[in-house]
Amino acid sequence: MVRMSTLSSWMSLPYLIVFLFLLPVVIVLSSLFGDWSENWVHLYNYVLFDYVSNSTGLIIGVSILVLLIGTVTAWTICNYNFHGKSFFEWALILPLSIPPYILAYTFTGLFDTYGTANNIARDLFNLDHSFILFPNVRNIFGAITIFSFTLYPYVYLVSRSAFLNQSQSMLEAGRMLGLNKIQIFYKLGLPIIRPALIGGLMLVIMETLSDFGAVDHFAVPTFTTGIFRTWYGMYDLNTAMQLASFLLLFIGIFITLERFSRKKAKYSSGSSTFKPAKLIQLSGIKSCIAFLVCFLPIFIGFIVPVSELAIWAYQHNLDFFDDKFINITVNTITLAIIAALLCACFALLVNFSIRFKKNTLSILSNSLLSMGYAVPGLILAVGIVQLFTWIDRSLLINTENVLTGSLVGLIFAYVIKSYALANSTFESGFERISLSIDDSARTLKSSGWNLLKRVHFPLLKTSFLTSALLVISEVVKELPATLILRPFNFDTLAVSTYIYAAEERMIQASAPAIAIVIVGLIPIIILTKMIKSSRPTK
Amino acid sequence: MNALLEINNLKHAFEKKKFVLKDINLEIYSGEIISILGPSGCGKTTLLRIIAGLEKPTDGIIKINNNIISNKQYSMPPEKRNIGLVVQERALFPHLNVLKNVTFGIQGLKERNDIALNYLKLFKVDQLKNKYPHEVSGGEQQRVALARAMAPNPNILLLDEPFNALDDELKSELHNETKKIFKEKGATVLIVSHNKEEAHFFSDRLITINNGKIS
Repeated sequence: MVRMSTLSSWMSLPYLIVFLFLLPVVIVLSSLFGDWSENWVHLYNYVLFDYVSNSTGLIIGVSILVLLIGTVTAWTICNYNFHGKSFFEWALILPLSIPPYILAYTFTGLFDTYGTANNIARDLFNLDHSFILFPNVRNIFGAITIFSFTLYPYVYLVSRSAFLNQSQSMLEAGRMLGLNKIQIFYKLGLPIIRPALIGGLMLVIMETLSDFGAVDHFAVPTFTTGIFRTWYGMYDLNTAMQLASFLLLFIGIFITLERFSRKKAKYSSGSSTFKPAKLIQLSGIKSCIAFLVCFLPIFIGFIVPVSELAIWAYQHNLDFFDDKFINITVNTITLAIIAALLCACFALLVNFSIRFKKNTLSILSNSLLSMGYAVPGLILAVGIVQLFTWIDRSLLINTENVLTGSLVGLIFAYVIKSYALANSTFESGFERISLSIDDSARTLKSSGWNLLKRVHFPLLKTSFLTSALLVISEVVKELPATLILRPFNFDTLAVSTYIYAAEERMIQASAPAIAIVIVGLIPIIILTKMIKSSRPTK
Repeated sequence: MNALLEINNLKHAFEKKKFVLKDINLEIYSGEIISILGPSGCGKTTLLRIIAGLEKPTDGIIKINNNIISNKQYSMPPEKRNIGLVVQERALFPHLNVLKNVTFGIQGLKERNDIALNYLKLFKVDQLKNKYPHEVSGGEQQRVALARAMAPNPNILLLDEPFNALDDELKSELHNETKKIFKEKGATVLIVSHNKEEAHFFSDRLITINNGKIS
């Protein structure tokens, strides 16, 4: 089927973006064709199985938990009225502002043998100092908990957005056919939002696979810790890049399978005839249950770590809040906004192009772009450094290091790494726009840029804002790529936190860590209000 | 008298050798209202989409006012054909109010608001001009969709089961009003329907498609 007989020249822009994005990744993948060092024998005999089994275990555990938390909270928010609902509607995404590694640090501080929680328990019940009430969290189960309670907002956001766009008539039809409220949720609500749900879950899985800080802190050997250890422990960059390449290939297979399954189940609602869901008023015990369902994820994923950080910050004098701190904060915000706008624009253009020129190449291109999210920051940084060094030496012979060590490299890394976040949001957004809307617009003389500007962009404002929120929150937290690519003497909040935490100075690290949380909160609060006002009922 | 729309030897297959349309030949004259009848899956909607330029035919020639708009090598994009389209699900733009939906296709004209209001008045929905699609009923949405399609004064208006989602009373009311407006405006209309009564009521000429051929 040909949806456009002539393809405007600007539509080739996404392919240029794909080309640019792929270069650093290709550099990493090219390591597979290089020499294979003897270190592979060691990896194979001693640690490779642990990397694979732990990474798989993490994905399975985190997927189950985030699906449970994200969809149940989103369904509760979208279908019921209960005490505190308007607060929970936006508060449920608060954990998005806490990087997993910060939650890991605070959980260790809380639940270690002599951590805050066990000490309080011993004092309260007058127990022996060797008594341990709370179990050790430095294991794979602790890591699953950490990731689930910091990453579930990805599933919550897309589920909420999709549930809000579900028609009341469809749910009523289910009731008339004999389904009870719970069956409506898992037999109708969930299957219908499956494409959006898979998109959100993909983000969680990629984030889990990319993380280094939390799994390293909990001593859970995964692919990423393996890559880091091979590089820094064995000083074998090539083998580290080869390990990273296997991780990329694994994710590539996963993305392809996901696309394949999603293609079989594409749903869109006729937006003109849309009838929004009617909220059910809860009272008594049912209201309490709904309250607890929404409160627990916020308590574990936000209130607990922020309280611990606040206590640590209180123990530290306020000298930290000086000019340097302001500079660092400004640096972080500026970088985050630039990366967010670039990611949103690229994702909008690429998805718009794919909508009209859907072929294997364009779908594959988008899958490749999304893989950037799963590339561990340090490896991506190496790819960019090597690429920029080559450009500086080969193409800009008369000048010295124009690109290497500049902010361009850092923003480039952020955009590659965060593109999947923006893309997933736009994919779901475009899926909700019926193709007959495009057909009508085209017979009314609107196509190309005009169609994008007058029809798609206004309908995708929420997607644009959601993607910006996700990217900003991601960039503020991004650590490894920033460490490698930042210009000399250019710090961000994440770098500052890392430097203190690496020196086990968690009390000092708490101030920039709190700042990361606050910076991550600003767009969350603003955008949640805007998302709320975009409800189809209004 | 030259035909306004001329279709010669049109063939279309979604997959190789599986032809939904086989050797379609059709001439439509200015001011004619023609209905296409046929069972589900016979290719009625595909024919409409090909005329609109939303599908590229496998083979055949389509001319409007004696100018080729589609052949094996070339297919004029829909935005350049000046053809109006109304589909069953209306496809109104949910972010635009009724008036802006109708002015959408006539942005370049200074008098766009007057034109749009005239059509809204004709279809008796001018009082809804500031409402959004989700704030008006299904019948009213269909009237707005018809007004929007007619506002750019298209060469030909294509209607794909436009009254299918409406109840009988509303359908009958809209049938009468719409036919009157089409005749007043001298519109050339091609309606796809599976309802024989509706097709007979509307059309000056009736065409049946069976097994991908006009019979």
